[in-house]
Amino acid sequence: MTTTVTEPAKTLEKGFVGQSIPRKEDKRLVQGQGTFFDDVRRHGMGYVHFVRSPYGHAKIVSIDVSKALELDGVYGTITGDEVAIHTDPFFEMSVEPGGNIKDYALAVGRVRHMGEPVAAVCAATRELARDAAELIEVEYDELPVLVDASEALKDEVVLHDDAGSNVVWSGVFDWGDVDSALAEADHVVKIDKLHFHRFSSTPLECAGALVEYDKGTGEWTLTCNHQMPGVGAIWMAPALRTGIDKLRFVTHDIGGGFGNKICLHPQYVVLCLLSRKLGRPVQWTEWRTDQHTANAHGNERWFLDVEVGVMKDGTMTGFKVKALDDCGAFPRYEPLGCIIWAQVTPGMYGWRNIRVDFTQVCTNKSPVSPNRGYSRMQHLWLTERIIDIVAHELGFDPVEIRKKNYVQADQMPYETPNGCFYDSGDYSTALDMVLDLIDAGSIEKRREEAASRGRLLGLGIGSTLDSGTNNFGQSTLLNPELQFSGNNEAASVKLDIFGEVVVTLGTVPQGQGHETTAAQVVADILGCSPDQVNVRRGHDTWFNSHAGFSGTYASQFAFTGLGAVKGAAELVRDEMIQLAAAVLQAPPEAIELSEGFARIKDGPPEAALPFMALGAIINANNAFLPPDFNPTLNHRYVCRPYFGMVDTEKKTGQLTLTYAMQIHAAVVEIDPETGEVDVVDYAAVDDCGVRINPQIVEGQVHGATAHAIGAALHEDFVYDDEGTLLTANFYDYHVPHAMDMPPLKTGAMESPSPVAPLGAKGMGEGGGGGIHCICSAIQDALKPAGGAIVYDSCNPAHRVWSMLQDPEATRANVSVASK
Amino acid sequence: MIVSGTKELGAPREVVWSVINEPSEMAKLMPGVESFEITDEKHWTAKVKVPLGLGGLKMTMNFEKLEEREPEFALMRAKGQGVGALMDMTTSFTLSEAGGGTSMAWEADVKIAGPVGAMGQRVLQPIVNQQVSQVLEALEDRVAAASTE
Repeated sequence: MTTTVTEPAKTLEKGFVGQSIPRKEDKRLVQGQGTFFDDVRRHGMGYVHFVRSPYGHAKIVSIDVSKALELDGVYGTITGDEVAIHTDPFFEMSVEPGGNIKDYALAVGRVRHMGEPVAAVCAATRELARDAAELIEVEYDELPVLVDASEALKDEVVLHDDAGSNVVWSGVFDWGDVDSALAEADHVVKIDKLHFHRFSSTPLECAGALVEYDKGTGEWTLTCNHQMPGVGAIWMAPALRTGIDKLRFVTHDIGGGFGNKICLHPQYVVLCLLSRKLGRPVQWTEWRTDQHTANAHGNERWFLDVEVGVMKDGTMTGFKVKALDDCGAFPRYEPLGCIIWAQVTPGMYGWRNIRVDFTQVCTNKSPVSPNRGYSRMQHLWLTERIIDIVAHELGFDPVEIRKKNYVQADQMPYETPNGCFYDSGDYSTALDMVLDLIDAGSIEKRREEAASRGRLLGLGIGSTLDSGTNNFGQSTLLNPELQFSGNNEAASVKLDIFGEVVVTLGTVPQGQGHETTAAQVVADILGCSPDQVNVRRGHDTWFNSHAGFSGTYASQFAFTGLGAVKGAAELVRDEMIQLAAAVLQAPPEAIELSEGFARIKDGPPEAALPFMALGAIINANNAFLPPDFNPTLNHRYVCRPYFGMVDTEKKTGQLTLTYAMQIHAAVVEIDPETGEVDVVDYAAVDDCGVRINPQIVEGQVHGATAHAIGAALHEDFVYDDEGTLLTANFYDYHVPHAMDMPPLKTGAMESPSPVAPLGAKGMGEGGGGGIHCICSAIQDALKPAGGAIVYDSCNPAHRVWSMLQDPEATRANVSVASK
Repeated sequence: MIVSGTKELGAPREVVWSVINEPSEMAKLMPGVESFEITDEKHWTAKVKVPLGLGGLKMTMNFEKLEEREPEFALMRAKGQGVGALMDMTTSFTLSEAGGGTSMAWEADVKIAGPVGAMGQRVLQPIVNQQVSQVLEALEDRVAAASTE
């Protein structure tokens, strides 16, 4: 492992920020002492199992639960008909036609994807619930199945009669003057189609919840692993015809989220109904096959009729594309994916003229939800494919054409054609760093050596952005009626009676190390050790300070989450100084907080108050304080970054605020006999501004890289024509094992964000870089074997073998018109 | 999944027809049949155990004869339901005289939905092949016995 840092970390006054202190969470996690929702038990609780559709598309003729109810130990069942009576459909964000879709917690009258829950049963044990589910008889009438987005556009088969069309949302984004840009270009490169495949994340912990209903108050407590409870409650409360505060979300440790744990509201509503119906706590832990089949997938997207203008010197003038997005059977979090990509419209490049004609459709596949790099990953893959295909077709060096077209360091902050501001960064320098790490200078020698062994070797680059701090106002570019704008996050900090600093977060960590990084920030501000700072584990919506959309998503903890922590800590710090000044009879400016004491700067050693004394004065011994002096040493702070309003006419605005960057490079070897791809060398350089904890940053780079390698080479949710998912388990859906991972060389540079409270940018979603660079490397390796064009984001051996056998079939997708 | 083939049987066409068009006779040919019930001449039900996974996959199969042209052609459909699997199979056979015996051309379109179907052709094809092979061997034996009765 190699780490290269080009600039020292920008640190706060005391300097815990920027250090790789050990993660506070790891002791309990490594020792098996973490507490997850599935560890929580309640007296008399029942276990829930969902009965799921075996069909991709079918009418539900009847559901007979009688045999299940006869089984000893079965507490009860629930079906879609009951759900339709006791709940309202979930709120839809889209305009028509997608806005007319009716989405209930269980299938009502029709199933639209394999694995869709049609009923649930609750029993005394998990195994019994599963057995009982097998006794529930569901009669189906099969309906024609749609698994192809292009076919869905024809509306010959319509999934949602209420919508009357499979189209969820469509619209054109047009910035600059792309027609002129193409007309004036020396070359126009046309790419007929590119396909970003359907995959997802596989958190160690599957989804689930323990739900208790309080009959007296009408309140539900959900001990769960939802990663964005604010939004979960906004979906659930209206559906359940109750108030948001009637839903209490409690999380403890969470074993990974990656976006999978945002769209859990359908299952949670079923649990709420069951707990109320049965008068007992109910618990559901998702089975892994169900997680693969029907939890949530990432968005599948086709890029059609791409046209790119290129000047003789390699300068790119603009591009246009038709994007066709497949969101599966229900647009749960959608159509936000139809706009989120626009946070990174030009990728890392200086394109000023871009037109994207975007359409999203429903098909008989699992619904999608945000997945690491949500929607931006697909678009950034497109920009990287464009760069490599243009270089391939016009004979440019992939490195030089990137450097020529990258947004340059002296252009920062850079306003994109659609009004986003790239806050800082030096992409060309980062590219040089990653090329050094991977020893790109020796690539031709390595290529020759590999050829002598009968192997094809290639080098690929993947540039990617991780936009952080989501502006919900971008949703109004899809539906101007939505009352969303901006974003915020909350945290609270207090000094308790024994001098311990206690922090509660609005965010819902799932393994990102929030307890550690928040402690580092607070320790620097208050002048103590991170060990003295207790950041409470998990989240409780009744007791943690939080905002409307609190959660951990969209790479925003570094900005809003830590910004809130910083703000609350500073309020406490100011009061501690005032209190110490009053006690020590010194002016506030003479007081410093250091090493767990408040003391007079350059004063006698005894003129110092330990934090414990300050906490005790406020909490237990405050009678001597003057009546007009009332510090609490307990503060909540809401970090509300400034976005301004978006322009719904021009479709412009600050859709997000920080832009972390990763550049990945891979060297692959291909066996021409089998198409098997081996990643033999790999490097990644990350720039996320100030690194609060470099080791945590590096860990996230590693995780994102593994995720990307899996997606690029193996992980693919494949459906047959009947809508049956063929890769519903780890045997067929191969996530990388340790042995699949190449040695990783990581580097870092720090371009502090001028807009973020700590100069730190959200990161961790840069996994797309790995997909981009592996596609790029495969295309480079295939050059001497017919020059196939890589058109799919997933390239398992059979696809590479096909490209080797018939490179012309891929080349037929690409043409060049030159003046 | 479509599977098809041709089987040469050493018995006259009428004998073969009588075996494969008599539900109770056909039931004896199918592996893993645990019970069999005739509803009427065109409908019958069988409880079968398919050798898949630990303990086997138990399915209730409902058969329906869709078309027949004695003594040369028959078409039937079987729909089955078991834990984690729904099966829908349409099968046909055509009998033609071949010397003193019979040539049977057969085809089956097997669709399996649910988690078992998700295992895909890689897993299911060998099982289907095995089942077909057992049926054909049993048919050969039964036809030979019937032709001497």
